[in-house]
Amino acid sequence: MAPSPRKPPTPTAPTTRRALVLGGNRIPFARAGGAYAHASNQDMLTAALDGLVARYGLQGERIGEVAAGAVLKHSRDFNLTRESVLGSALSPTTPAYDVQQACATGLESVVGLANKIRLGQLESGIAGGVDTTSDAPIAVSDRLRRTLLDLSRAKTVGQRVAVAARLRPKDLAPAAPRTDEPRTGLSMGEHQALTTAQWGITREAQDELALASHQRLAAAWDAGFFDDLVTPFRGQTRDGNLRADTSLEKLAKLRPAFGLGLDTPATMTAGNSTPLTDGASTVLLGSDEWAAAHDLTPLAVVVDAEAAAVDFVHGVDGLLMAPVFAVPRLLARNGLTLDDLDYVEIHEAFASTVLTTLAAWESDQFGKERLGLDGAFGTVDRARLNVHGSSLAAGHPFAATGGRIVATVSKELHRRKQAEGRPVRALVSVCAAGGLGLTAILEAA
Amino acid sequence: MTTVVLPSVPALGGLYARGAAATGRLAVARRVGRAPRTLPDVVHEVRGVRADADHLTAYQHLVGESASDRLPAGFVHVLAFPVAFAVMVRPDFPLPLLGLVHVANRVEQHAPVRLDEAFDVRAWAQDLRPHRSGTTVDLVAEVRVGGALVWRGVSTYLAKGVRLAGRPDDAVRDEFVAPVPTGRWKLAADAGRRYAAVSGDHNPIHLSRLSAKALGFPRTIAHGMFTAARALADVGAVRGDAFTWTVEFHKPVLLPGTVTVRVAPDGPGTAFAGWDARSGRPHLTGRVDPLR
Amino acid sequence: MTDTYLNLVNSGVTKKLAQQLGLPQPAPLRRYRAGTPLVDGPVLVLGRGKDADALAAVLAGPAGGAPGSTVLDGWDLDVHRHASPDTRYAAVVVVLTDVEHPDQLAGPVLATAGVLRGLARGGRVVTVSREATPDDAPALAAARQGVDGLLRSLAKELRGGATGNGVVLREGVPVTAPSTLGAVRFFLSARSAFVDGQLLTVDSDAGALPASWDRPLEGRVAVVTGAARGIGASIAATLARDGATVVAVDVPAAGEQLAAVANRVHGTALQLDVTAQDAGARILAHALQRHGRLDVVVHNAGITRDKLLANMTPDKWDSVLAVNIASQLRINEALLTSGDFADEPRIVSLASTSGIAGNRGQTNYAASKGGVIGMVRATAPLLVPFGGTANAVAPGFIETEMTARIPALTRQVARRLNSLQQGGQPVDVAEAVAFLASPAAGGIVGRTLRVCGQNMVGQ
Repeated sequence: MAPSPRKPPTPTAPTTRRALVLGGNRIPFARAGGAYAHASNQDMLTAALDGLVARYGLQGERIGEVAAGAVLKHSRDFNLTRESVLGSALSPTTPAYDVQQACATGLESVVGLANKIRLGQLESGIAGGVDTTSDAPIAVSDRLRRTLLDLSRAKTVGQRVAVAARLRPKDLAPAAPRTDEPRTGLSMGEHQALTTAQWGITREAQDELALASHQRLAAAWDAGFFDDLVTPFRGQTRDGNLRADTSLEKLAKLRPAFGLGLDTPATMTAGNSTPLTDGASTVLLGSDEWAAAHDLTPLAVVVDAEAAAVDFVHGVDGLLMAPVFAVPRLLARNGLTLDDLDYVEIHEAFASTVLTTLAAWESDQFGKERLGLDGAFGTVDRARLNVHGSSLAAGHPFAATGGRIVATVSKELHRRKQAEGRPVRALVSVCAAGGLGLTAILEAA
Repeated sequence: MTTVVLPSVPALGGLYARGAAATGRLAVARRVGRAPRTLPDVVHEVRGVRADADHLTAYQHLVGESASDRLPAGFVHVLAFPVAFAVMVRPDFPLPLLGLVHVANRVEQHAPVRLDEAFDVRAWAQDLRPHRSGTTVDLVAEVRVGGALVWRGVSTYLAKGVRLAGRPDDAVRDEFVAPVPTGRWKLAADAGRRYAAVSGDHNPIHLSRLSAKALGFPRTIAHGMFTAARALADVGAVRGDAFTWTVEFHKPVLLPGTVTVRVAPDGPGTAFAGWDARSGRPHLTGRVDPLR
Repeated sequence: MTDTYLNLVNSGVTKKLAQQLGLPQPAPLRRYRAGTPLVDGPVLVLGRGKDADALAAVLAGPAGGAPGSTVLDGWDLDVHRHASPDTRYAAVVVVLTDVEHPDQLAGPVLATAGVLRGLARGGRVVTVSREATPDDAPALAAARQGVDGLLRSLAKELRGGATGNGVVLREGVPVTAPSTLGAVRFFLSARSAFVDGQLLTVDSDAGALPASWDRPLEGRVAVVTGAARGIGASIAATLARDGATVVAVDVPAAGEQLAAVANRVHGTALQLDVTAQDAGARILAHALQRHGRLDVVVHNAGITRDKLLANMTPDKWDSVLAVNIASQLRINEALLTSGDFADEPRIVSLASTSGIAGNRGQTNYAASKGGVIGMVRATAPLLVPFGGTANAVAPGFIETEMTARIPALTRQVARRLNSLQQGGQPVDVAEAVAFLASPAAGGIVGRTLRVCGQNMVGQ
């Protein structure tokens, strides 16, 4: 047979379409050991999904995919998201998968599903995240685990006795989950304390940021802004960490909690750091066609996203500084500058995380040497920063934070565009353990 | 120079027993003025050494390496060092084994040894020299695969209080200033026993509080090479395949204990240091640099 | 809520004991389930005139109507026009529209008397009469008003869960008007289980018969406030069962239960404080955006802050009035002026027997609930031009979380103070709401229907 002449490749124009944020729902975030002390990750994620289903009338709906995750996860929760879907009012034929990117889990779930929608692979999706520090997984010690595994493999009584004889009493003590960075042994707070000291961020600046977070979140609650973003759970009707009545004086009285061993004054307190929190959040995503077919108002478009990571292991950059590198790349790719953003949402892992991020962007030297720019990257207008408060006030159930921010800012984008009738944009930036950072641009739909 | 070919790598446990006996003999000999004052002119050699996969994995996990089929430079040390140690327990070795302190170590790795490769080890002692608090000696081990030198280790030991002829050079050490940390090691009380299990180095100072006390330490102390191996692991992949890995041991790490560390790029390679954050005194300092 | 007493007097030894002691004998009420017959047995239609004939024709006519004819869709019941001896009737419909003098009551009334002993458990007596007005001849008015006293007394004599209710037609309203048929059917059915001794007036021939009596609200969008629990949750479920798409509204703090209700009824949840100034606009926006229309609003949200008037605080008075009546007025105004609530709209408000008869310690609540009765009376005419109406439902003692908190003895007494000698269930209120929200209720304008088992207080 004669070889058939090779066809020239037909160039295909990129056929991506818009991925829309159509709404969101979360449960109020509760302080660890509080209202959700006995609720599991699956309980909370199911509650958040059910609230979303109720708000948007999605009962029995087969959603394209649900992607969610938890940072601290029991081994029994290997299929957490799918199990939560099965327990929810969604159709049991809704596929699901788990995502884990530390504190960026929620935002990565949004980005991943949005990209599938853009590609035409999905018409709809629900992104989410959940975490509990109250019901955190407690594991058996490594030695006990290995011994038990070896025991199950042992074939003779003699082998079993020999294996069992390896156990020591202290092997029976449970191993608590580590929140330290595995490669450095330092906690996130200790890492951030190094970065805080490096950039010379003052206690006062941190306390002011924390105060603004509480005041703005309280104002949003009082205005009913969260009435269609949050569904109460277990009697918790507002974010448990919110202190509407806090003040600079009260914050100033708190003792430093991190950076005590450094030769600079310790500035990070429980007041300007996020507490351990329990909670769950979800975001409803879809194509224009799906939104129209379901009478849903598009709130925002997921425009683009960029991840970054830093070498904190060797002290090159601070653990939580990855967004500092991601955002310039993201904005450059989209032909934007900081001035083009109407809202800047920077996850408040610590007040000083936000402040060191801003300081790095404002530094000429850093811009030139580390970002490869002609000078400083730019300045963020504080009036556009975390306008409805952020994690310092709301709390931070690790994987749930991305969904909280995306749903909140999407509603705000939509509101602003309705009011002003012009394009409105937001930047979302989340730092994460392991020196990770994930950032995204949303635009009012 | 005589070459003594050993049938296999000797077990360190037996060597310690022999070393303890030799130390006794040496003490008697020194008293009667018949102790050796020079190093034995001998090379110990073991051919066709192979690593065991489970042993390798246990070592890698303990020091924080991922379980690849390339032997970490510190694991090659674990396999090769007993050959050098055998030189130290010879009756004609001039320094007492008990009480010898590992003060520095230098490794040149030209290529990684793979798990499926057999290698030959040659070891000897050299460079017996005076030190301000005693006498030091270098134990050298070389590892060859197919005749090519792939790894060379020089371990420097100090015999405190042993004075041999000559004057020490008066090089003054730089005062240690604690840098900005990049991490912290929390070492459990059993860190000595666990490293002993993978390295075969059952020196009593690492094993139990009681045995450590008998030798003058308040608690067990961590193996120097364990801390050096963790630092090497922390350097990570940037070290490449061919590098020098040098370390100086200062104050021993008492167990359980916390070592504040910095492992960070410095010049052509990576510098590391571990210290006690409270006293500011160093436990170890060193570097890993690309070889070439 | 479980009524333990009701269970005891209906089973075994305790049943016998209660009979011997002459204790109240409440009967388990028959309640509506889709697919069950309208009534369990033959129906006796009494009355001589053409109204009785027309009504009997509808009741007896074939379901689906005669092909090609203008005859109304029949209900396919076993209708008798004369009492036959030894027949156990499931219902008696007494058509009294043609009585012109009290003397004429004797015939149909005594005919009714003959079958009452044989009335089935859960049976129904429904009178159909005309409204007495000041313009009537005195004898005519006397005859018509006499029906009122007759029905209320008759209802008190019925036992075994049977009820007696009346449909009162205003002058000119035909007996086959949609709302007449709708009301007769509602009273005959198990949907009216806890409605007893009530006379419901049909004001006009507006309204329409539903395509399906099982799903009269098909295609309609209904908002229910206070839907997170109790009666509101039951209303949401009942409207959804009848075919409506439900928007379940409650305060944000009740969101967890609200979400569960919305998910059960396959509707949407709207977390909203009805006292918010923009509540009406937000309800309308949600309904239009999510469901394309708004047809029914059920004002169910309500609170109690009981206090003797001598001890009343401004806070307790104001909050009850704000939630129970002021919010309804404000929401209605927003809906009525929007132009988007104009396709045969229905407003159904929750009043209370306290608002009719008064209740010690509830001056604030009763003022608000009396206000609701006045409000629907004045609001309904505004909706009539659009084929709409507004009505109220006044529940008596209903077994809810709220009444469960009443002290045990008081609760037992309160339950028995009506002709059915038991408390109603939330679904009983919901059924009445659903009827008033249905297309067939279009001719019922500004009325208040009590769901109280003929409570001994008030009208």
